[in-house]
This record gives sequence, structure tokens and C-alpha cells, in this order.
Amino acid sequence: MDGKGVAGSPAVGAVNRGSSRTYWSSREALLVLPALGFYFLLYLYPLSRLLVWSLFDPELTAKNYQQLITDAVYFKALRNTLEISVLVTIGCLTLGYPLAYLAVTVRPRIRVVLLTIVLVPFWTSVLVRSFGWLVILGTNGLVNRTLIAIGVISSPLKLLYNLVGVEIGMIHVLLPFMIFPLYSVMVRIDTDLVRVARSLGASPWRAMLHVFMPLSLPGVAAGAAMVFLMAVGFYVTPALLGGPQQLTLATLIDMVVNDLLHWGFGATLGVLLVTVVGTIFLVFSTILGLDRLVATRTR
Amino acid sequence: MDHTGSSRVLLWAFCLSVLLFLLAPILVIIIASFNDSQFLQFPPQSWSLRWYNRFFDSPHWYEPALLSLRIALVTMGISTALGTLAAIGLVRGEFRGKRITELFMISPLFVPVIVVAIGLYFQFAGIQLIGKPVALYLAHALLATPVVIVIIGAALRSSDASLELAARSLGASWIRTARFVTLPIIRPALISAAGFAFLISFDEVVLAIFLGGPNATTLPKRMWESMRFEIDPTLTAISSLLILVAVTVLVAVALLRRAVERARGQRTLQSPPG
Repeated sequence: MDGKGVAGSPAVGAVNRGSSRTYWSSREALLVLPALGFYFLLYLYPLSRLLVWSLFDPELTAKNYQQLITDAVYFKALRNTLEISVLVTIGCLTLGYPLAYLAVTVRPRIRVVLLTIVLVPFWTSVLVRSFGWLVILGTNGLVNRTLIAIGVISSPLKLLYNLVGVEIGMIHVLLPFMIFPLYSVMVRIDTDLVRVARSLGASPWRAMLHVFMPLSLPGVAAGAAMVFLMAVGFYVTPALLGGPQQLTLATLIDMVVNDLLHWGFGATLGVLLVTVVGTIFLVFSTILGLDRLVATRTR
Repeated sequence: MDHTGSSRVLLWAFCLSVLLFLLAPILVIIIASFNDSQFLQFPPQSWSLRWYNRFFDSPHWYEPALLSLRIALVTMGISTALGTLAAIGLVRGEFRGKRITELFMISPLFVPVIVVAIGLYFQFAGIQLIGKPVALYLAHALLATPVVIVIIGAALRSSDASLELAARSLGASWIRTARFVTLPIIRPALISAAGFAFLISFDEVVLAIFLGGPNATTLPKRMWESMRFEIDPTLTAISSLLILVAVTVLVAVALLRRAVERARGQRTLQSPPG
């Protein structure tokens, strides 16, 4: 391996398939090693340890996993997590689809404004946003004071530390993750197809329903998958805005590890959570192609 | 695509409410931060900057802020370096299992942070690393590197690999090509990646909660404690400042990228120095 490189000679181990990308090979590949080593030490190893801990106590046992299924509290946490996540996904879809559609159909100037308004909360910290909802939804907060002032209600609504608060907070955080995949798919839909449908006699609604919406489904799937994936693993918002009834897998892990000091069981919950998320991710990335999911994030 | 006027108006009305929903917490916090009252009421009856003063006057708040800044800068450095190298290796290199490796290296974006947090917590507890800033340098870098890989990877994929090929075939060594051809090409992406890595670390809360301690309390961790136990109105001022930081970083990244791209367009072909 000559560091100076003679013109025209392939690098050692290069496969000459005629494309410029494979011209040089194993040398560039080495660049991955530092990051890979970092990942192995700080990511793969600790996570595998979790798996080991969940299975050994100290001998090989399924005890932890049994407890997962039999104990009512833990099962409730799993149910809560799924319920909350499904509701959040539906909410984000309902709010996000029209907005993505609007962004696609307006002039570029307005589109930039719309997308920027979506970007600003996206890059604001989850903590700040959840705190904002704490202020808005509190008993003395904006919503309650307004409703009381105009006479709709006489005593404050309980909008915090319950499902309502958690849903509002999480939908707010995850909405951009729905809008961007939707938008990037919608923007590629050929609007001529809709015009053709109209010219053939379809009403605007029919054209929308039978031409545009089916074509936007990949975006819907990608957005829904991403939102659901993230919702399942969420910690900050349910912990801050939810009540004891909104125990999710993530908040449960926190409780088990920090308050109950059951490290082994905490590890089991962690493994469960990763398995759920990983399965959904694998299913969707094989159906949709990983590039789609990843490409939409680089916006 | 034409719709009847009324359905268009409906669409706009709906979307404007969604946009308002998106901006509401941010606007409310900023307005509430100028509230003179001790109590978190909205809208404010009297206005002042007292909570901003509180932030700058209390070590309780500005020390964690400085720590967060330090950690974010270190994280930015580590993750940009590791991530850029990895991205070049993944996009320009060829090796077996490349696809899997790429999936693996992007996966921290999708694994719930809480699981990474407990994994690292158990790991670091064994080597007495809990409560030391080093733990957060490493943990935040793990979280930010995938983002860097995605951003730089995208830039590399959309750039012309034959430029590097040309440089190599003209006799440039591997390192010279990297420095004078590849790096300038990805410079805008580098700026974005570094900026986002900084923000990710600066705002990060879950790892900070699990891996931090009395001597390693980041600003988000301190804010979290306040939100959970006793809400301090200073939080509104700090949150507004955090929003400002995020907007500043975004604007700075956009401006720097524009400047770099403009400079690149104006530069004539010149041989690298030396």
C-alpha cells in the first residue's frame, strides 16, 4: 500500500466493477473504525450487558420475563405505552397531513415560511416545550383562565398530570416528525395526475381521495412509523405532564432503576423496549427502505 | 390543484390553528418570562426582567449553563470528527456488511434514550464514572454522532465522487485528496452537522439525569429538577434563552453555509499550497 499512490493503479483489494465508487476500497473503509470502536464500547457492549442481566440472575432464568407478563403494574405500563403512542400517531396524522398538503400547494415563498414555523419547535428542546405546556395547561394557565374569563367553565379543567396533558405534549413534540416525511413524499407526487383526473370529470374531492391520497401513503407510513417509534420510547413528556396513571415503559424503567434499585428487572424492561422499537423499525425499513426514513431526517 | 374557494379557506383555517399550536408553548414561555409576578400567571400583569437577572446572578443556574456549554463544545468536536470519518468510510468505502454497519451506526437515533441511559449508567457505575463530566462527553457524543453521519453521508452521496477520483489519478495521495477535495466539498454539511451536534448536547436531558451528579449537573438537568419539584419562575427566562440559543445556532449555520457556498462558487481553480 503505497501512500503516495501511483496514478491509475488501483488500491489494494479494490474490485474493478467499472464504477468510480468501488475504485478505492478497503482504505476508506478503515475510517469507520474509530467510530465503530466508540460504538462498541459505549453502545453495543452496555446494551448487550442489559440483555445478559435480564437473562441471568445469576443462572440462566426466565424469571424476569415471567414477571413482566404476570405482574399487573408492568403489564399496565406496556398497555399505557401502546395506547398513548397510538393516540399520538393518530393525532399527528390528523394535524400533520393537511399542513403538509398545504405546504405542497402554496407558493414557494409561503412554503418556506410554513416549513420554518415547523422547524423552530423541532429544534427547541423537549424540556422547554413540555414546560411551555405546563404553563399553558395549568389550573392558572392560559387555557383555563381564558375559558373562565369568557364564561365557558366555572372551575378550572384538569388538563395536566393526566392523559390529556401527555397527549398534547407528545403530539406537539412529534408533529414535525410526521410533517417532514409526509411533505417529502407529497412534494414528489405528480400533480398532473390529479389534473388528469379532474379533466376526466372527477370532482376535486374525488381526485384528492382516489389519486392524491393513495400516492401519499408511503409518506403516511413513514411518518406514522417514525412517530410511533419515538412515542413508544418517550420519557420526558410523560414524566413531566403525566400522572401516575400514565406510567409508560420509559417512566417505569426510571422508577425501577432509580427508586426500586432493581437493576436486573430494569434491564429486562430496557430489552423489551428495544425489542419493540427494533421490530417496528426493521419491519418498516424493509418495507419502505431505510434510505427513505433516513433521508427524510436530513431535512 | 384547484379546490373550491370554501374548502381552501377551511384548509387554511385548520392549518393556521395547527401552526399556532406548534408555536404556542414557545410564544407563551417568552411572554411569561417578562412577567414581574412571583406566580406563573398568564398573561402577565406587570413586566420586568427580574427572572433574567435571577439567571445571571445565581450560580445555581449559570454554573450548570457553563457546564452544558463546555460539554456541548466537546461533544461537537468528538462527534463531528468520528461521524465525518465514519461517513466517508461508509459512503466512499467498500466492504462486506457495509449496509449492516450503516444501519448499526444510525440506530442510536431510534433506540429510546432511556435504554441507552440505563445501559451506560450500569456500565459507568462499575468504573466510578457517574457524576463526572467525562461520562457526559462520551454519552452525548454517542447520541450526536449518528446525526453527523446522516448529514455528512447525504452530502457525500450527492456530491461527485469522480472529483476525488480525478485527484487521485493525478497523483494526489489519499490524505491530500481528503484535505483539498473531499473536505471543501462537504464543508457546508460539516457546519450543519457541528451546529446540530452542539444543540443536541446542549438540550439533552435524559442522559444528563442518569449519568450526572452534584458535580456534573447540566442546565437541562437542573431545569428538570425544578420542573418536577418546585417550579421556579426563573425557568421561563432560562427557557427563553434556550430558545434564543437554538434559533441563533440555526441562523448561524444557515449564514455560514451560504457564505461557504458563495466563496466556493467564486474561487477559481488554484493548486493547494505546499
